[in-house]
Amino acid sequence: MINSQNPVARREGLVIQEMPEEVLVYDTNTNKAHCLNQTAAFIWKACDGSNSVKDISKLVGDEFGGAVSDDFVWLAIDQFNKDNLLQEKVETKFEGFSRREVIRKIGLAAVVALPVVASLAVPNTVLAVGTCVRVQCCAPSTTGGATCPAGSPPSTCPSPCVCPATGNPTLCT
Amino acid sequence: MTETFPFHSEQKAGLLQVRGERENAVRDIYIESYGVRIRFSVNNRSALEAVEGILPVALPGDCFRFIEKTEVGHHFELILDPADEDKGCNFYRNGRQVPNDHSRLDVLRGFESQIRLTVAEHAVERVFVHAGAVVWKGRAIIIPGNSFTGKTTLTAALVRKGAEYLSDEYAVFDEAGDVHPFLKTLSVRGVVDEFTQTEIPVEDFGGRRAHGKFPIGMVLITEFQAAAEWRPLRLTPGLGVLEMLPNVVPVRYDPEFTLKVLNRVAKRAIITKTFRDDAAKCAESVLDYFESECLKNQGF
Repeated sequence: MINSQNPVARREGLVIQEMPEEVLVYDTNTNKAHCLNQTAAFIWKACDGSNSVKDISKLVGDEFGGAVSDDFVWLAIDQFNKDNLLQEKVETKFEGFSRREVIRKIGLAAVVALPVVASLAVPNTVLAVGTCVRVQCCAPSTTGGATCPAGSPPSTCPSPCVCPATGNPTLCT
Repeated sequence: MTETFPFHSEQKAGLLQVRGERENAVRDIYIESYGVRIRFSVNNRSALEAVEGILPVALPGDCFRFIEKTEVGHHFELILDPADEDKGCNFYRNGRQVPNDHSRLDVLRGFESQIRLTVAEHAVERVFVHAGAVVWKGRAIIIPGNSFTGKTTLTAALVRKGAEYLSDEYAVFDEAGDVHPFLKTLSVRGVVDEFTQTEIPVEDFGGRRAHGKFPIGMVLITEFQAAAEWRPLRLTPGLGVLEMLPNVVPVRYDPEFTLKVLNRVAKRAIITKTFRDDAAKCAESVLDYFESECLKNQGF
Protein backbone atom coordinates (compact mmCIF):
# COMPACT_ATOMS: atom_id res chain seq x y z
CA MET A 1 0.00 0.00 0.00
CA ILE A 2 1.37 3.39 -0.93
CA ASN A 3 0.70 6.71 0.66
CA SER A 4 0.42 8.52 -2.60
CA GLN A 5 -1.93 11.35 -3.37
CA ASN A 6 -1.85 10.40 -7.04
CA PRO A 7 -3.72 7.13 -7.48
CA VAL A 8 -3.40 5.19 -10.71
CA ALA A 9 -6.26 3.14 -12.15
CA ARG A 10 -5.38 -0.42 -13.02
CA ARG A 11 -5.85 -1.44 -16.65
CA GLU A 12 -4.02 -4.74 -16.96
CA GLY A 13 -6.22 -7.81 -16.77
CA LEU A 14 -9.39 -5.78 -16.99
CA VAL A 15 -12.03 -5.75 -19.70
CA ILE A 16 -13.68 -2.36 -19.68
CA GLN A 17 -17.03 -1.65 -21.25
CA GLU A 18 -18.30 1.91 -21.36
CA MET A 19 -22.03 2.15 -20.88
CA PRO A 20 -24.19 5.24 -21.28
CA GLU A 21 -23.76 6.46 -17.70
CA GLU A 22 -21.74 3.68 -16.11
CA VAL A 23 -18.63 1.66 -16.68
CA LEU A 24 -18.59 -2.09 -16.46
CA VAL A 25 -15.26 -3.66 -15.53
CA TYR A 26 -14.49 -7.36 -15.71
CA ASP A 27 -11.43 -8.56 -13.85
CA THR A 28 -10.04 -11.56 -15.70
CA ASN A 29 -7.74 -12.41 -12.79
CA THR A 30 -10.51 -12.81 -10.24
CA ASN A 31 -13.55 -13.26 -12.51
CA LYS A 32 -15.27 -10.44 -10.72
CA ALA A 33 -17.40 -7.85 -12.45
CA HIS A 34 -17.81 -4.29 -11.22
CA CYS A 35 -20.31 -1.66 -12.20
CA LEU A 36 -19.09 1.86 -11.53
CA ASN A 37 -21.77 4.51 -11.46
CA GLN A 38 -21.19 7.74 -13.30
CA THR A 39 -19.34 9.43 -10.45
CA ALA A 40 -17.19 6.44 -9.59
CA ALA A 41 -16.36 5.97 -13.26
CA PHE A 42 -15.33 9.59 -13.61
CA ILE A 43 -13.06 9.43 -10.56
CA TRP A 44 -11.56 6.12 -11.71
CA LYS A 45 -10.73 7.58 -15.11
CA ALA A 46 -9.21 10.60 -13.42
CA CYS A 47 -6.84 8.32 -11.51
CA ASP A 48 -4.12 8.59 -14.14
CA GLY A 49 -1.16 9.23 -11.87
CA SER A 50 -1.01 12.92 -12.71
CA ASN A 51 -3.98 13.99 -10.59
CA SER A 52 -3.90 14.26 -6.83
CA VAL A 53 -7.03 13.60 -4.80
CA LYS A 54 -7.48 17.36 -4.50
CA ASP A 55 -7.19 17.70 -8.29
CA ILE A 56 -9.77 14.98 -8.76
CA SER A 57 -12.16 16.64 -6.30
CA LYS A 58 -11.97 19.79 -8.38
CA LEU A 59 -12.46 17.86 -11.63
CA VAL A 60 -15.55 16.17 -10.17
CA GLY A 61 -16.94 19.54 -9.11
CA ASP A 62 -16.33 21.00 -12.56
CA GLU A 63 -17.84 18.00 -14.32
CA PHE A 64 -20.96 17.58 -12.21
CA GLY A 65 -21.56 21.20 -11.24
CA GLY A 66 -21.21 21.02 -7.48
CA ALA A 67 -18.21 21.26 -5.19
CA VAL A 68 -17.22 18.02 -3.50
CA SER A 69 -14.77 17.42 -0.66
CA ASP A 70 -11.64 15.28 -0.82
CA ASP A 71 -13.49 12.75 1.30
CA PHE A 72 -15.89 12.26 -1.57
CA VAL A 73 -12.98 11.12 -3.74
CA TRP A 74 -11.43 9.08 -0.94
CA LEU A 75 -14.70 7.25 -0.64
CA ALA A 76 -14.37 6.11 -4.25
CA ILE A 77 -10.70 5.27 -3.82
CA ASP A 78 -11.55 3.18 -0.78
CA GLN A 79 -13.85 1.09 -2.98
CA PHE A 80 -11.26 0.89 -5.78
CA ASN A 81 -8.80 -0.42 -3.20
CA LYS A 82 -11.18 -3.14 -2.08
CA ASP A 83 -12.00 -4.17 -5.65
CA ASN A 84 -8.40 -4.09 -6.77
CA LEU A 85 -9.08 -1.45 -9.38
CA LEU A 86 -5.91 0.53 -8.71
CA GLN A 87 -2.39 -0.36 -9.80
CA GLU A 88 -1.35 -0.08 -6.16
CA LYS A 89 -3.57 0.25 -3.15
CA VAL A 90 -3.64 3.72 -1.70
CA GLU A 91 -4.02 4.45 1.99
CA THR A 92 -7.32 6.26 2.38
CA LYS A 93 -7.75 9.27 4.63
CA PHE A 94 -11.04 9.89 6.31
CA GLU A 95 -9.54 12.21 8.92
CA GLY A 96 -10.73 10.26 11.93
CA PHE A 97 -14.13 9.36 10.55
CA SER A 98 -15.33 5.85 9.83
CA ARG A 99 -16.38 5.08 6.29
CA ARG A 100 -20.02 5.00 7.36
CA GLU A 101 -19.67 8.42 8.97
CA VAL A 102 -18.06 9.76 5.85
CA ILE A 103 -20.88 8.46 3.71
CA ARG A 104 -23.41 10.02 6.05
CA LYS A 105 -21.56 13.33 6.11
CA ILE A 106 -20.99 13.48 2.36
CA GLY A 107 -24.36 12.05 1.50
CA LEU A 108 -26.26 14.71 3.38
CA ALA A 109 -24.39 17.55 1.76
CA ALA A 110 -23.56 16.22 -1.68
CA VAL A 111 -25.21 17.60 -4.77
CA VAL A 112 -23.36 15.00 -6.80
CA ALA A 113 -24.37 11.34 -6.55
CA LEU A 114 -22.08 9.33 -4.29
CA PRO A 115 -19.53 7.16 -6.08
CA VAL A 116 -20.72 3.56 -5.97
CA VAL A 117 -19.08 0.37 -7.19
CA ALA A 118 -21.37 -2.66 -7.33
CA SER A 119 -19.49 -5.94 -7.59
CA LEU A 120 -20.26 -9.54 -8.30
CA ALA A 121 -18.20 -12.71 -8.55
CA VAL A 122 -19.01 -14.53 -11.76
CA PRO A 123 -19.51 -18.26 -11.18
CA ASN A 124 -17.94 -20.73 -13.53
CA THR A 125 -20.02 -22.07 -16.38
CA VAL A 126 -20.93 -25.18 -14.46
CA LEU A 127 -22.67 -23.10 -11.85
CA ALA A 128 -24.24 -20.95 -14.53
CA VAL A 129 -25.96 -24.01 -15.86
CA GLY A 130 -27.00 -24.86 -12.36
CA THR A 131 -28.69 -28.20 -12.53
CA CYS A 132 -26.74 -31.28 -11.86
CA VAL A 133 -28.27 -34.50 -13.05
CA ARG A 134 -27.44 -36.21 -9.83
CA VAL A 135 -25.25 -35.05 -7.05
CA GLN A 136 -23.04 -37.26 -4.98
CA CYS A 137 -22.85 -35.64 -1.59
CA CYS A 138 -19.93 -36.05 0.73
CA ALA A 139 -17.24 -38.64 0.79
CA PRO A 140 -18.35 -42.10 1.96
CA SER A 141 -15.95 -41.87 4.86
CA THR A 142 -17.67 -38.82 6.29
CA THR A 143 -21.36 -39.34 5.76
CA GLY A 144 -21.83 -42.68 4.11
CA GLY A 145 -21.87 -41.15 0.65
CA ALA A 146 -25.41 -39.88 0.62
CA THR A 147 -26.73 -39.26 -2.85
CA CYS A 148 -29.13 -36.44 -3.60
CA PRO A 149 -32.08 -37.12 -5.88
CA ALA A 150 -31.69 -36.36 -9.55
CA GLY A 151 -31.75 -32.66 -10.22
CA SER A 152 -31.45 -31.65 -6.60
CA PRO A 153 -30.92 -27.95 -6.07
CA PRO A 154 -27.51 -27.23 -4.62
CA SER A 155 -29.09 -25.83 -1.47
CA THR A 156 -30.45 -29.24 -0.51
CA CYS A 157 -27.08 -30.95 -0.52
CA PRO A 158 -24.51 -30.89 2.25
CA SER A 159 -21.03 -30.03 1.15
CA PRO A 160 -18.62 -31.07 -0.16
CA CYS A 161 -20.27 -32.58 -3.20
CA VAL A 162 -19.21 -33.79 -6.59
CA CYS A 163 -21.43 -33.51 -9.61
CA PRO A 164 -20.86 -36.49 -11.90
CA ALA A 165 -21.93 -34.48 -14.92
CA THR A 166 -19.36 -31.81 -14.34
CA GLY A 167 -16.85 -33.13 -11.88
CA ASN A 168 -17.23 -29.88 -10.00
CA PRO A 169 -16.54 -30.46 -6.34
CA THR A 170 -18.14 -27.24 -5.16
CA LEU A 171 -21.46 -27.36 -6.95
CA CYS A 172 -23.44 -27.84 -3.80
CA THR A 173 -21.58 -25.64 -1.42
CA MET B 1 -12.01 -57.56 -38.47
CA THR B 2 -11.81 -57.18 -34.73
CA GLU B 3 -10.73 -53.97 -33.14
CA THR B 4 -10.49 -52.45 -29.74
CA PHE B 5 -10.69 -48.70 -29.84
CA PRO B 6 -7.78 -46.86 -28.24
CA PHE B 7 -9.52 -45.36 -25.23
CA HIS B 8 -8.03 -44.61 -21.89
CA SER B 9 -6.03 -47.49 -20.52
CA GLU B 10 -8.20 -48.00 -17.44
CA GLN B 11 -11.15 -48.57 -19.71
CA LYS B 12 -9.49 -51.06 -21.97
CA ALA B 13 -10.21 -54.05 -19.81
CA GLY B 14 -13.90 -53.40 -20.09
CA LEU B 15 -13.97 -52.63 -23.76
CA LEU B 16 -15.88 -54.68 -26.18
CA GLN B 17 -14.29 -56.30 -29.10
CA VAL B 18 -16.11 -54.35 -31.76
CA ARG B 19 -16.89 -56.21 -34.92
CA GLY B 20 -18.17 -55.13 -38.27
CA GLU B 21 -17.39 -52.62 -40.91
CA ARG B 22 -19.85 -49.95 -39.81
CA GLU B 23 -18.56 -49.66 -36.28
CA ASN B 24 -14.99 -49.31 -37.43
CA ALA B 25 -15.86 -46.72 -40.00
CA VAL B 26 -17.77 -44.44 -37.66
CA ARG B 27 -16.02 -44.76 -34.34
CA ASP B 28 -15.37 -41.02 -34.47
CA ILE B 29 -18.08 -38.52 -35.24
CA TYR B 30 -17.41 -34.85 -35.91
CA ILE B 31 -19.95 -32.11 -35.58
CA GLU B 32 -20.06 -28.35 -35.76
CA SER B 33 -22.51 -26.22 -33.86
CA TYR B 34 -22.37 -22.41 -33.68
CA GLY B 35 -18.81 -22.62 -34.97
CA VAL B 36 -17.78 -25.10 -32.26
CA ARG B 37 -16.21 -28.27 -33.60
CA ILE B 38 -16.49 -31.37 -31.48
CA ARG B 39 -15.22 -34.90 -31.95
CA PHE B 40 -17.07 -37.80 -30.40
CA SER B 41 -15.43 -41.15 -29.92
CA VAL B 42 -17.40 -44.25 -29.06
CA ASN B 43 -16.41 -47.77 -28.12
CA ASN B 44 -19.22 -49.70 -29.76
CA ARG B 45 -22.39 -49.50 -31.76
CA SER B 46 -24.62 -48.84 -28.72
CA ALA B 47 -22.51 -45.85 -27.78
CA LEU B 48 -22.66 -44.61 -31.34
CA GLU B 49 -26.43 -44.85 -31.35
CA ALA B 50 -26.56 -43.11 -27.99
CA VAL B 51 -24.53 -40.18 -29.33
CA GLU B 52 -26.65 -40.00 -32.46
CA GLY B 53 -29.77 -39.96 -30.33
CA ILE B 54 -28.50 -37.40 -27.86
CA LEU B 55 -27.15 -34.82 -30.30
CA PRO B 56 -30.52 -33.58 -31.65
CA VAL B 57 -31.76 -33.30 -28.06
CA ALA B 58 -28.67 -31.52 -26.77
CA LEU B 59 -28.46 -29.20 -29.76
CA PRO B 60 -32.04 -28.84 -31.00
CA GLY B 61 -33.51 -27.00 -33.93
CA ASP B 62 -31.00 -28.00 -36.59
CA CYS B 63 -28.24 -26.14 -34.80
CA PHE B 64 -25.57 -28.72 -35.50
CA ARG B 65 -24.31 -30.57 -38.54
CA PHE B 66 -22.06 -33.54 -39.07
CA ILE B 67 -18.74 -32.63 -40.63
CA GLU B 68 -15.73 -34.45 -42.03
CA LYS B 69 -12.78 -35.34 -39.83
CA THR B 70 -11.08 -32.11 -38.86
CA GLU B 71 -9.16 -30.27 -36.17
CA VAL B 72 -11.41 -29.83 -33.15
CA GLY B 73 -11.34 -27.87 -29.94
CA HIS B 74 -13.30 -30.41 -27.93
CA HIS B 75 -13.37 -34.15 -27.62
CA PHE B 76 -15.96 -36.35 -25.94
CA GLU B 77 -15.63 -40.08 -25.46
CA LEU B 78 -18.57 -42.26 -24.54
CA ILE B 79 -17.93 -45.72 -23.20
CA LEU B 80 -20.83 -48.14 -22.85
CA ASP B 81 -20.54 -51.61 -21.42
CA PRO B 82 -23.35 -53.76 -22.84
CA ALA B 83 -22.81 -56.30 -20.08
CA ASP B 84 -23.96 -53.75 -17.51
CA GLU B 85 -27.05 -51.94 -18.74
CA ASP B 86 -27.79 -50.38 -15.38
CA LYS B 87 -24.46 -48.66 -14.91
CA GLY B 88 -21.67 -49.47 -17.33
CA CYS B 89 -21.48 -46.00 -18.78
CA ASN B 90 -18.70 -43.42 -18.62
CA PHE B 91 -17.69 -40.39 -20.53
CA TYR B 92 -14.64 -38.24 -20.86
CA ARG B 93 -14.43 -34.60 -21.77
CA ASN B 94 -11.15 -33.53 -23.33
CA GLY B 95 -9.41 -36.53 -21.84
CA ARG B 96 -10.74 -36.03 -18.32
CA GLN B 97 -13.17 -38.54 -16.97
CA VAL B 98 -16.36 -37.06 -15.62
CA PRO B 99 -16.74 -38.93 -12.35
CA ASN B 100 -19.86 -40.88 -11.61
CA ASP B 101 -21.19 -44.03 -10.08
CA HIS B 102 -24.72 -43.56 -11.25
CA SER B 103 -27.18 -45.10 -13.65
CA ARG B 104 -26.67 -45.09 -17.37
CA LEU B 105 -29.61 -42.73 -17.82
CA ASP B 106 -28.14 -40.19 -15.41
CA VAL B 107 -24.74 -40.36 -17.05
CA LEU B 108 -26.26 -39.89 -20.50
CA ARG B 109 -28.17 -36.87 -19.22
CA GLY B 110 -24.92 -35.46 -17.91
CA PHE B 111 -23.30 -36.19 -21.26
CA GLU B 112 -26.09 -34.30 -23.04
CA SER B 113 -25.76 -31.39 -20.65
CA GLN B 114 -22.00 -31.20 -21.17
CA ILE B 115 -22.34 -31.13 -24.95
CA ARG B 116 -24.80 -28.28 -24.73
CA LEU B 117 -22.65 -26.42 -22.24
CA THR B 118 -19.55 -26.81 -24.38
CA VAL B 119 -21.32 -25.25 -27.35
CA ALA B 120 -22.87 -22.53 -25.19
CA GLU B 121 -19.52 -21.54 -23.75
CA HIS B 122 -17.46 -21.60 -26.93
CA ALA B 123 -19.98 -20.54 -29.59
CA VAL B 124 -18.48 -18.24 -32.17
CA GLU B 125 -20.05 -14.77 -32.39
CA ARG B 126 -22.87 -15.76 -30.09
CA VAL B 127 -23.52 -15.18 -26.41
CA PHE B 128 -25.55 -17.85 -24.66
CA VAL B 129 -27.48 -16.68 -21.63
CA HIS B 130 -29.09 -19.27 -19.39
CA ALA B 131 -32.65 -17.98 -19.65
CA GLY B 132 -36.20 -18.60 -20.63
CA ALA B 133 -37.11 -16.60 -23.72
CA VAL B 134 -40.28 -15.71 -25.58
CA VAL B 135 -41.40 -13.24 -28.21
CA TRP B 136 -44.22 -10.81 -27.66
CA LYS B 137 -45.33 -8.49 -30.45
CA GLY B 138 -42.09 -8.88 -32.31
CA ARG B 139 -39.70 -8.33 -29.41
CA ALA B 140 -37.96 -10.78 -27.15
CA ILE B 141 -38.48 -11.05 -23.42
CA ILE B 142 -35.82 -13.04 -21.66
CA ILE B 143 -35.83 -14.37 -18.11
CA PRO B 144 -32.29 -15.20 -17.02
CA GLY B 145 -32.02 -17.49 -14.07
CA ASN B 146 -30.45 -20.51 -12.56
CA SER B 147 -32.28 -23.79 -12.28
CA PHE B 148 -34.98 -23.94 -9.64
CA THR B 149 -35.82 -20.24 -10.00
CA GLY B 150 -39.05 -21.06 -11.86
CA LYS B 151 -37.74 -19.99 -15.25
CA THR B 152 -39.42 -22.77 -17.21
CA THR B 153 -42.69 -22.37 -15.31
CA LEU B 154 -42.85 -18.68 -16.16
CA THR B 155 -41.81 -19.30 -19.76
CA ALA B 156 -44.62 -21.85 -20.10
CA ALA B 157 -47.09 -19.41 -18.53
CA LEU B 158 -46.08 -16.73 -21.03
CA VAL B 159 -46.51 -19.20 -23.86
CA ARG B 160 -49.99 -20.03 -22.57
CA LYS B 161 -50.77 -16.30 -22.77
CA GLY B 162 -49.86 -16.33 -26.45
CA ALA B 163 -46.17 -15.48 -26.46
CA GLU B 164 -44.06 -17.31 -29.04
CA TYR B 165 -41.50 -19.70 -27.64
CA LEU B 166 -37.75 -19.19 -28.07
CA SER B 167 -36.31 -21.39 -25.32
CA ASP B 168 -36.51 -22.42 -21.71
CA GLU B 169 -32.74 -22.91 -21.54
CA TYR B 170 -30.77 -20.38 -23.55
CA ALA B 171 -31.35 -16.98 -25.05
CA VAL B 172 -28.81 -16.84 -27.85
CA PHE B 173 -27.60 -13.32 -28.65
CA ASP B 174 -25.78 -12.39 -31.83
CA GLU B 175 -23.22 -9.61 -32.05
CA ALA B 176 -25.90 -6.98 -32.66
CA GLY B 177 -27.77 -8.04 -29.52
CA ASP B 178 -30.66 -9.74 -31.30
CA VAL B 179 -32.08 -12.92 -29.79
CA HIS B 180 -32.15 -16.25 -31.63
CA PRO B 181 -34.17 -19.32 -30.64
CA PHE B 182 -32.78 -22.40 -28.95
CA LEU B 183 -35.80 -24.57 -29.54
CA LYS B 184 -35.55 -27.40 -27.08
CA THR B 185 -38.53 -29.02 -25.44
CA LEU B 186 -39.48 -27.47 -22.12
CA SER B 187 -37.89 -29.25 -19.15
CA VAL B 188 -40.71 -29.28 -16.65
CA ARG B 189 -40.41 -30.37 -13.04
CA GLY B 190 -43.32 -31.55 -10.96
CA VAL B 191 -44.64 -34.17 -13.36
CA VAL B 192 -42.75 -37.11 -11.85
CA ASP B 193 -41.45 -35.39 -8.70
CA GLU B 194 -40.11 -32.01 -7.74
CA PHE B 195 -36.64 -32.75 -9.09
CA THR B 196 -36.99 -34.87 -12.21
CA GLN B 197 -37.39 -32.97 -15.43
CA THR B 198 -39.92 -34.13 -18.01
CA GLU B 199 -39.44 -32.94 -21.57
CA ILE B 200 -42.63 -31.45 -22.99
CA PRO B 201 -42.98 -29.91 -26.46
CA VAL B 202 -44.15 -26.30 -26.48
CA GLU B 203 -47.14 -27.32 -28.59
CA ASP B 204 -48.48 -29.23 -25.58
CA PHE B 205 -48.84 -25.87 -23.83
CA GLY B 206 -50.81 -24.57 -26.80
CA GLY B 207 -47.77 -22.59 -27.83
CA ARG B 208 -45.83 -22.12 -31.01
CA ARG B 209 -42.15 -21.81 -31.78
CA ALA B 210 -40.63 -18.56 -32.93
CA HIS B 211 -38.29 -18.62 -35.89
CA GLY B 212 -35.74 -16.03 -36.90
CA LYS B 213 -34.06 -13.39 -34.82
CA PHE B 214 -35.75 -10.79 -32.66
CA PRO B 215 -34.75 -7.47 -31.14
CA ILE B 216 -34.53 -7.62 -27.38
CA GLY B 217 -37.32 -5.85 -25.54
CA MET B 218 -37.01 -6.78 -21.90
CA VAL B 219 -34.76 -8.68 -19.55
CA LEU B 220 -36.66 -9.83 -16.49
CA ILE B 221 -34.61 -10.86 -13.48
CA THR B 222 -37.01 -12.78 -11.28
CA GLU B 223 -37.38 -15.82 -9.18
CA PHE B 224 -40.15 -17.55 -7.34
CA GLN B 225 -40.84 -16.53 -3.76
CA ALA B 226 -44.02 -17.62 -2.06
CA ALA B 227 -46.48 -14.74 -1.53
CA ALA B 228 -44.22 -12.29 -3.35
CA GLU B 229 -45.90 -9.43 -5.16
CA TRP B 230 -45.08 -8.11 -8.60
CA ARG B 231 -42.98 -5.04 -7.82
CA PRO B 232 -40.80 -4.36 -10.84
CA LEU B 233 -37.68 -2.36 -10.19
CA ARG B 234 -36.07 -0.91 -13.29
CA LEU B 235 -32.31 -1.39 -13.23
CA THR B 236 -29.72 0.81 -14.88
CA PRO B 237 -28.03 -0.82 -17.89
CA GLY B 238 -24.84 -1.45 -15.94
CA LEU B 239 -26.53 -2.97 -12.93
CA GLY B 240 -28.79 -4.93 -15.25
CA VAL B 241 -25.82 -6.50 -16.99
CA LEU B 242 -24.24 -7.22 -13.62
CA GLU B 243 -27.41 -9.08 -12.58
CA MET B 244 -27.36 -11.07 -15.81
CA LEU B 245 -23.71 -12.13 -15.61
CA PRO B 246 -24.09 -15.22 -13.38
CA ASN B 247 -26.20 -16.72 -16.15
CA VAL B 248 -24.04 -15.64 -19.06
CA VAL B 249 -22.19 -18.77 -20.07
CA PRO B 250 -19.19 -17.48 -22.06
CA VAL B 251 -18.25 -14.53 -19.86
CA ARG B 252 -15.17 -16.20 -18.41
CA TYR B 253 -14.11 -17.63 -21.75
CA ASP B 254 -14.51 -14.45 -23.80
CA PRO B 255 -15.35 -11.48 -21.56
CA GLU B 256 -14.52 -8.88 -24.20
CA PHE B 257 -17.01 -10.06 -26.81
CA THR B 258 -19.56 -10.99 -24.18
CA LEU B 259 -19.59 -7.59 -22.51
CA LYS B 260 -19.73 -5.84 -25.87
CA VAL B 261 -22.86 -7.79 -26.78
CA LEU B 262 -24.44 -7.33 -23.36
CA ASN B 263 -23.81 -3.60 -23.60
CA ARG B 264 -25.83 -3.56 -26.83
CA VAL B 265 -28.55 -5.61 -25.17
CA ALA B 266 -28.70 -3.23 -22.21
CA LYS B 267 -28.93 -0.19 -24.47
CA ARG B 268 -31.98 -1.58 -26.23
CA ALA B 269 -33.80 -3.42 -23.47
CA ILE B 270 -35.42 -2.50 -20.25
CA ILE B 271 -33.98 -4.57 -17.44
CA THR B 272 -36.30 -5.19 -14.54
CA LYS B 273 -36.05 -7.10 -11.31
CA THR B 274 -38.75 -8.48 -9.06
CA PHE B 275 -39.74 -11.54 -7.10
CA ARG B 276 -42.82 -13.38 -8.23
CA ASP B 277 -45.39 -15.78 -6.88
CA ASP B 278 -47.93 -17.49 -9.13
CA ALA B 279 -46.55 -17.89 -12.67
CA ALA B 280 -49.86 -17.36 -14.49
CA LYS B 281 -50.56 -14.13 -12.63
CA CYS B 282 -46.99 -13.03 -13.12
CA ALA B 283 -47.15 -13.73 -16.87
CA GLU B 284 -50.06 -11.32 -17.14
CA SER B 285 -48.16 -8.67 -15.17
CA VAL B 286 -45.06 -9.21 -17.31
CA LEU B 287 -46.94 -8.66 -20.53
CA ASP B 288 -48.83 -5.62 -19.22
CA TYR B 289 -45.62 -4.10 -17.93
CA PHE B 290 -43.80 -4.92 -21.14
CA GLU B 291 -46.44 -3.22 -23.24
CA SER B 292 -46.59 -0.10 -21.07
CA GLU B 293 -42.87 0.29 -20.38
CA CYS B 294 -41.27 -1.10 -23.48
CA LEU B 295 -43.49 -1.21 -26.51
CA LYS B 296 -45.17 2.17 -26.05
CA ASN B 297 -41.95 3.97 -25.13
CA GLN B 298 -40.19 2.47 -28.10
CA GLY B 299 -42.90 3.46 -30.53
CA PHE B 300 -44.47 0.08 -31.13
